[in-house]
Amino acid sequence: MTKALDKNSGASAVNLAVNVGGLSMKNPVTVASGTFASGREYAELWQASVGASSEPSKNVNPATELEALGALTTKGVSFEPWTGNATPRIAETPSGMLNAIGLQNKGVEAFCQDDLTWLAKNAPELPLVVNVCGHTVDEFAPVIERLEQETVVDAYEINISCPNLDCGGMALGVDPEVAAAVTRTCRAATKRPLIVKLTPNVTDITEIAKSVEAAGAGALSLINTVAGMAIDAKLRKPLLARGSGGLSGPAIKPVALLAVHRCYQAVSVPLIGMGGIRNATDAIEFMLAGATAVAVGTANFADPLVALRLADEMQLWCESQGVEDINELIGGLLA
Amino acid sequence: MCEAVGARESLSCQAASGVLEPCEVLDIGSCDKNGGIRRLVLRAPHAAIHALPGQFVHLRIPHFDDHLLRRPFGLYRCNSAAGTIELVYQVLGAGTQQMTSLKVGQKLDIIGPVGRGWSCAPEAKNVLLIAGGMGAVPLYPLAEQLKAQGKQVQVVLGAQNADLLVFQKDFETLLGAENIPICTDDGSAGFHGFTTERAAELLKKSSFDAIATCGPHLMQRGVALLARKAGIPCEVSLEERMACGIGACLSCVVETTAGKKRACVDGPVFKADEVIWND
Ligand SMILES: Cc1cc2nc3c(=O)[nH]c(=O)nc-3n(C[C@H](O)[C@H](O)[C@H](O)COP(=O)(O)OP(=O)(O)OC[C@H]3O[C@@H](n4cnc5c(N)ncnc54)[C@H](O)[C@@H]3O)c2cc1C
Ligand SMILES: Cc1cc2nc3c(=O)[nH]c(=O)nc-3n(C[C@H](O)[C@H](O)[C@H](O)COP(=O)(O)O)c2cc1C
Ligand code: FES
Repeated sequence: MTKALDKNSGASAVNLAVNVGGLSMKNPVTVASGTFASGREYAELWQASVGASSEPSKNVNPATELEALGALTTKGVSFEPWTGNATPRIAETPSGMLNAIGLQNKGVEAFCQDDLTWLAKNAPELPLVVNVCGHTVDEFAPVIERLEQETVVDAYEINISCPNLDCGGMALGVDPEVAAAVTRTCRAATKRPLIVKLTPNVTDITEIAKSVEAAGAGALSLINTVAGMAIDAKLRKPLLARGSGGLSGPAIKPVALLAVHRCYQAVSVPLIGMGGIRNATDAIEFMLAGATAVAVGTANFADPLVALRLADEMQLWCESQGVEDINELIGGLLA
Repeated sequence: MCEAVGARESLSCQAASGVLEPCEVLDIGSCDKNGGIRRLVLRAPHAAIHALPGQFVHLRIPHFDDHLLRRPFGLYRCNSAAGTIELVYQVLGAGTQQMTSLKVGQKLDIIGPVGRGWSCAPEAKNVLLIAGGMGAVPLYPLAEQLKAQGKQVQVVLGAQNADLLVFQKDFETLLGAENIPICTDDGSAGFHGFTTERAAELLKKSSFDAIATCGPHLMQRGVALLARKAGIPCEVSLEERMACGIGACLSCVVETTAGKKRACVDGPVFKADEVIWND
């Protein structure tokens, strides 16, 4: 249920609630891992921006900012702290950006102490998906085992797809056997909903999707960034210190839509679609391709309120199109 | 930092992230002959009231939707009574090029004011500022503040050539020409050489008890070295590529003795000694 309509009349008949492999979301909107940290920075900006805005902020309720999301997805968390790559870590490209952050994070213990403590206090009702990363098959389960002690965590998103690490994500996510092995160790470590996040940098994404589904994934996130490079011609050097990185933003939306569409046909678990989503129409397109939920990533940087507004905008879209239950849209492409 | 700003100290004590503020273009203009350096005055009351010297805004350029990222610009002059902020930018790439087509009355939005500004040893009495190129921008409000506090301030102003010395007048009006040693790379005005050379001379002649610098990375590294040799506390303001501008994405990190810090909210001002300068 969205705030704008709560306030007005509660008369909206649109059901926005979805279920992603056991994770109940009151609307289909989450944020893409790594673009939103653990939500605190955006929550504070959202709260502070209400007063500063000279436009009527009808969609913004300062008491429940983060809880406007259907779920929050955190930055990738590893067992030990990771320092990430050298700078420059980002480069702007046509309708997109490259990043090679390198999964910098402070490790699961500090994450529990700092981030989860803050979330438990400030957004206790918000469904929380923790994104988990590791360099090898064996590094994932220990992270989950530590997180199992935290009641505020609702689900895991397993990043087997990050293209940024020499010995990590890419290698794991491109091989169906290895991807399945990671999924199995994670599945064995928890009863919570398990989402596996796939890389598009493979020949056939449905092969990986089927493999991790068989290994126990309850849902899939698609897609992670597309491997890419940018060059400064005058300097004759790559724009990123690491040489290459992952492309995100509207530039990859067609790639992401096709990945969702094909996986929707190949597997039966629900999908979280992402890649260049900036507005309700983009989000609805992902649902039509087969996504049950959607994530906003790079768009947060240009428009830091976009994730806050998106569910309301999707509701308005449904109303204008006479859609009563947003679940009707999932995979709803006409022949 | 906190002591230096009096009434607004509570704000500056935290890693300061900004607010999304809609604003309007009030005035535009060229600062040099060729229009390569431009000013932009915005109505942005929140930023104008809350800005501290050394903070910046993260600006979304209108009609630039195929480019996803905002652009960071230092706050030059803020008028809290009028609710206006002034930016000065150099036209370099696609974004700053697009900004040259901004019109008076046009709407845009900023995230601001962002970051930790200058602290500049509150007990300091005689302060040396060293500005290279656009690095003069964040040093201007610091100079204003130091002057208001009754401190001695000298500003080494450097540019490639006389034509690009666009900040000279403002600084001279504020502090008197005798306190603004000028240098140009080509010798077309003032001292012929780098700001670091000019600063080294000044350090021999008078005793400063604090240094603040902003400009090209190499210059700031040079100043940091000078300051360390002279045993004077020094602050630098670093430029890193930024995506979110609020501390969430870890694009903008700087290597420090205390690990990686985010230039956007833990900086852009850092203690020179804290920065690991190996590149
Ligand atoms: C905290 C801070 C304050 C700044 N203050 C000023 C100022 O007051 N006046 C001024 O003229 N410039 C300032 N800059 C530099 C200014 O942000 C860049 O010149 C500008 O972003 C270039 O954009 P562009 O689209 O023209 O260039 P492009 O090269 O097309 O930009 C491509 C990408 O690289 C980034 N980028 C390019 N150069 C820089 C740089 N030097 N630093 C950080 N990111 C960069 C852009 O933001 C963009 O994301 C500041 C930078 C930072 C980090
Ligand atoms: C700066 C940045 C950091 C990211 N960090 C992570 C991460 O830690 N874990 C992960 O699974 N994906 C990460 N991603 C990928 C996004 O979650 C998302 O899959 C991708 O960016 C596509 O969505 P978008 O186009 O909406 O950004 C990151 C993306 C960006 C731009
Ligand atoms: S720009 Fe995102 S953390 Fe600094």
